[in-house]
Amino acid sequence: MPRYSSVFRDEMKLDINYVPHRLPHREAELRLLNEFFDFALQSPERMSQRVMITGDVGTGKTALAQRFGGDIMLNAGKRRISLRYTHVNCRECRGSLFLVLQRVASTFHPNFPKRGYSAEELLGILVQMLDEENAYMILTLDEFDSLVEKEGSEAIYGLTRLQEARQGKPQRLSLICILRSLKAVERLDPSTRSTLQSNIINLPNYTKQQLTSILSDRVVLALKPSAVPEETMSLLAEIAMSENGNARFGIELLWRAGKYADAEDLQVVTPECVRKAVSSIVPSLRRNELASLSFHEKLLLLGIARLFKESQKACVSLVEAEQIYEIACEEYAAKPNSHTQLWKYLQSLSSLGVVKTEVSSVAPRGRSTLIYLPRTPAHELGEQLVELLEKGETASNGH
Amino acid sequence: MDIEEVFSSKLRVRILKVILQVGELNVSDIARRLGVNYTSTIRHLEILEREGIIQHKQFGRIRIYRLSPNSPKAKAVQSLFETWQKEAETKGE
Repeated sequence: MPRYSSVFRDEMKLDINYVPHRLPHREAELRLLNEFFDFALQSPERMSQRVMITGDVGTGKTALAQRFGGDIMLNAGKRRISLRYTHVNCRECRGSLFLVLQRVASTFHPNFPKRGYSAEELLGILVQMLDEENAYMILTLDEFDSLVEKEGSEAIYGLTRLQEARQGKPQRLSLICILRSLKAVERLDPSTRSTLQSNIINLPNYTKQQLTSILSDRVVLALKPSAVPEETMSLLAEIAMSENGNARFGIELLWRAGKYADAEDLQVVTPECVRKAVSSIVPSLRRNELASLSFHEKLLLLGIARLFKESQKACVSLVEAEQIYEIACEEYAAKPNSHTQLWKYLQSLSSLGVVKTEVSSVAPRGRSTLIYLPRTPAHELGEQLVELLEKGETASNGH
Repeated sequence: MDIEEVFSSKLRVRILKVILQVGELNVSDIARRLGVNYTSTIRHLEILEREGIIQHKQFGRIRIYRLSPNSPKAKAVQSLFETWQKEAETKGE
């Protein structure tokens, strides 16, 4: 009977919708968010709040808001406060305030009609629903940019100044707006902007170390012990880093690399699994780009590809690459170029995105250039280069 | 209204059945699901509401109907329909 064992322990922990209990490197921001909404657990009827969370893709904006939402609902429940946290992605609602509010209303009444009223009426209905249940709501508008783009100032002004029309009544609705940068709100009129921009939490891009620790946390939750070696972790972090510190990308890549490991019946997720995974997500190097490389650049890259194929390492040093490049030169009867020239070739390969380089200062002697192969599987790259080199040889022999 | 009168209308029975299946619905949705017009739907809903079996919530122009949560008549209707449904399932209808 065929043996089937997976590298995964619980792959759902890598799902895009999974919100971990601990958000590494976002502890301070989570505390700040809790501070902003402290009133909601003391006297929610007396005020409402508006907070903006900004940051690049994969910096943890959605996870931060959802973790906060889950926690505050739990704490409110313990205090017998009826507090609802609702998270709506505005882009999924095509940037329409009506559809956003319709989705919120359906959390109270699942069969709430989808037509027959305006967004303004729906906002009133929503407040009525909250009044009837004596409930409070923190509504997170994720991808707020698309709402601003579609609806403009008036609709958003109405959303933020809801309470002005109901003086003396309990405040029911607070907002968290998630967007990439504050640029999107610049198009709003000054009064709408001023109601929104009082509390801003900006999430900086993760560093490589932070990405490594985030990925390590997920590895513990989702994969079997020792299934992801340090080399693989380092490569995953490096690739996520090259995508502007995008942790979500890194997590998705980890899942995909795990799938490649399972498909090949491997016990561990190797760096090569990561390269295969990344080439299935990001379009890998185009063939004509490879063809445009000079003869020695191809030889150097072939050497690098062979090193990665054989060693299962996440990165190799320029010294190692130089040694194997010399072997490739011998194979194709070429005189090897100097170290300085190779360093130049490496820079041009790096600017093309075929390899990534990093200067390491932890080497035993001085600084050393480390080479990563982030996107293309080593065996695939090697095969393509051999084919191109042989074609080139035939062409040159023919002349 | 006497019990025979309440249940004498096939449409009233079907309205109760759909409310029981879905939980809560607005008038247009009930009419659409049953393929009948709005006016007769609302007329029968008002009769059932007067009997205390169902109740509605008004949101602007929208009326959402559901079974009256604390009404003994609503509970009896629910039990009747559930029993009928179970019987039908065991008979493989």
